[in-house]
Amino acid sequence: MPVQAGPGKVENRRIFFLSAVFEAPARKTAASGKSSVRAKVRHCRWVHLAQLRLRDFRNYRQADLAFVPGAHVFLGHNAQGKTNLLEAIYLLATLRSFRGVGGAQMIRHEAKGYFVGGTVMGPSTHEIKAYWAPRERRLQLDGRAIRKLADYFGVLRAVVFCTEDLLLIKGAARGRRRFLDLLLAQTQPGYLTLLLRYTQALKSRNALLKSPRVDEAQLDGFSQELVTVGDALMAARQMIVPRISPLVRLAFRRIAHETDELKLEYAPSVKGDFAVALGNARARERAVRTTLIGPHRDELTLLVNEQSATLYTSEGQKRTLALALKLAQAEYLSGIHGSPPILLIDDVMGELDARRRAGFLPLLQHSRRAGGQVFMTCTEENWPAELGAELHRWRVDAGTVSPAPK
Amino acid sequence: MTQLPAPIALLTAALSRLPGIGPRSAERLALHVVQLDPTQVRTLAEALIQARERIVRCERCGALTESQPCPICGDDRRDATLLCVVERALDILSLEKSGTFKGRYHVLGGKLSPLNGVGPDDLRIAALEARLQPEGVQEVILALGSDVEGDATSHYLAKRLAPAGVRMTRLAQGLPAGSGLEFADELTLSRALEGRRAL
Ligand SMILES: [Zn+2]
Repeated sequence: MPVQAGPGKVENRRIFFLSAVFEAPARKTAASGKSSVRAKVRHCRWVHLAQLRLRDFRNYRQADLAFVPGAHVFLGHNAQGKTNLLEAIYLLATLRSFRGVGGAQMIRHEAKGYFVGGTVMGPSTHEIKAYWAPRERRLQLDGRAIRKLADYFGVLRAVVFCTEDLLLIKGAARGRRRFLDLLLAQTQPGYLTLLLRYTQALKSRNALLKSPRVDEAQLDGFSQELVTVGDALMAARQMIVPRISPLVRLAFRRIAHETDELKLEYAPSVKGDFAVALGNARARERAVRTTLIGPHRDELTLLVNEQSATLYTSEGQKRTLALALKLAQAEYLSGIHGSPPILLIDDVMGELDARRRAGFLPLLQHSRRAGGQVFMTCTEENWPAELGAELHRWRVDAGTVSPAPK
Repeated sequence: MTQLPAPIALLTAALSRLPGIGPRSAERLALHVVQLDPTQVRTLAEALIQARERIVRCERCGALTESQPCPICGDDRRDATLLCVVERALDILSLEKSGTFKGRYHVLGGKLSPLNGVGPDDLRIAALEARLQPEGVQEVILALGSDVEGDATSHYLAKRLAPAGVRMTRLAQGLPAGSGLEFADELTLSRALEGRRAL
């Protein structure tokens, strides 16, 4: 069925179903005396989430919360709505849930749609309003409707640490591609636009391949587009993997204290020239009726001692690896933007032993020095004693949030 | 809330079928119209009918026109060897405002869109091919949007029209990527026309 929607509606829907995230401002130039001063100045102007407003979001009928910079911990029993708060913050930053669910699952039972609003304070103040209902999506930044993602992303940057991270190691390649895409979209202006173009070219091409009689000339038109954009995507991924790999290795060593040699490798699905390879795949495509090669089939390989981490590591090592990937993401973002992203830590501390927790500390300390913000969830106050005195405690109980006494 | 009287609801429904008018603005407009002076409403209704009845598509180029062919197709001073292909009739207006182009136009009526079920047969491509030889066209300038579908349509046309032996060019990438012609200012458009490149 053809999609019947005006251009504005399509744009909005795309915003909410995006697999990737923000476009960032220009990268920081190489460190000179001058720029490090500028970096310090920027550190003082912490970007933080000052207010969070929820209506009919998950188990929250209504919540209006104000946050100062620093570390916040949401305390409460299971299923009271602690993680939902992190999910809402992540949603403001990336317009998607880190639990891998669509908008419908985030609407409170029997409500029509959810609303998540936020006030972001930093060098300038921003108001974000997102409303989502099955047939209506609205995204506003500072009172104006957002039609292009590039106008929105970068307002708030967040990195989430959650149990789902384990899928980065155990799960399908898709999750690892998404990890790369997120990192690139958060640091490379224009990457997100390329990714959207590629996705549309790919979908169009697949639609043509599925039609009863494939129009080769038309297919060719979209193939050219796929190749042009795909080449740019692959070049960007090729560039970033060697940059992130040492950060992951360092984080891994710091947490695991092991001598295991960790390596990240980019394994593009296209070998050689994309256009030629696509032409060669044409016969197989005729049988399966879908595009078989391209960046949508790329893999990010994790190797421990030259062996696939997906296959040959213990459960504990997998957890450490997942954590190392996320730590590297946060460090890479801090390095490029000169200020740390908001860290959202969902109960993973409970699963980590003291040694792994300690690996986390440098990042938390850096975030604190730089005036960043951290949000954590805990069932009981078992963590982190290391930050104890400076924690802002919140009690979460059946969809209500209140400041907790010290 | 009580229901709107039937005539207002009817008018609202009709208005909301127009592009860019949501249910709320349709209702606002309808409520405005029913409170206007009756002669004013008659003038509006008259203008709507007149406009619709007097405007037709130019049989040659597809532009919206009162005369057949349209003034541009009928103007002997325009360069018949240059043919500029656009997506919509509206795009002609944008290009004419830039004042740079002295050739003629051809409206495609859309772009290839497999996801919306729009194929080559749904576009005025056969009509375009039929114009090339009789009109002595030497250069076809593709002035389609630079989004995925616009670009793919350009690639497609370049290939399909190749046997006709005309020079094929497209607008230079002065246009913001992913947008249509209506968002481009006149300066951008005239630069894009000057910097067009071969396909
Ligand atoms: Zn005409």
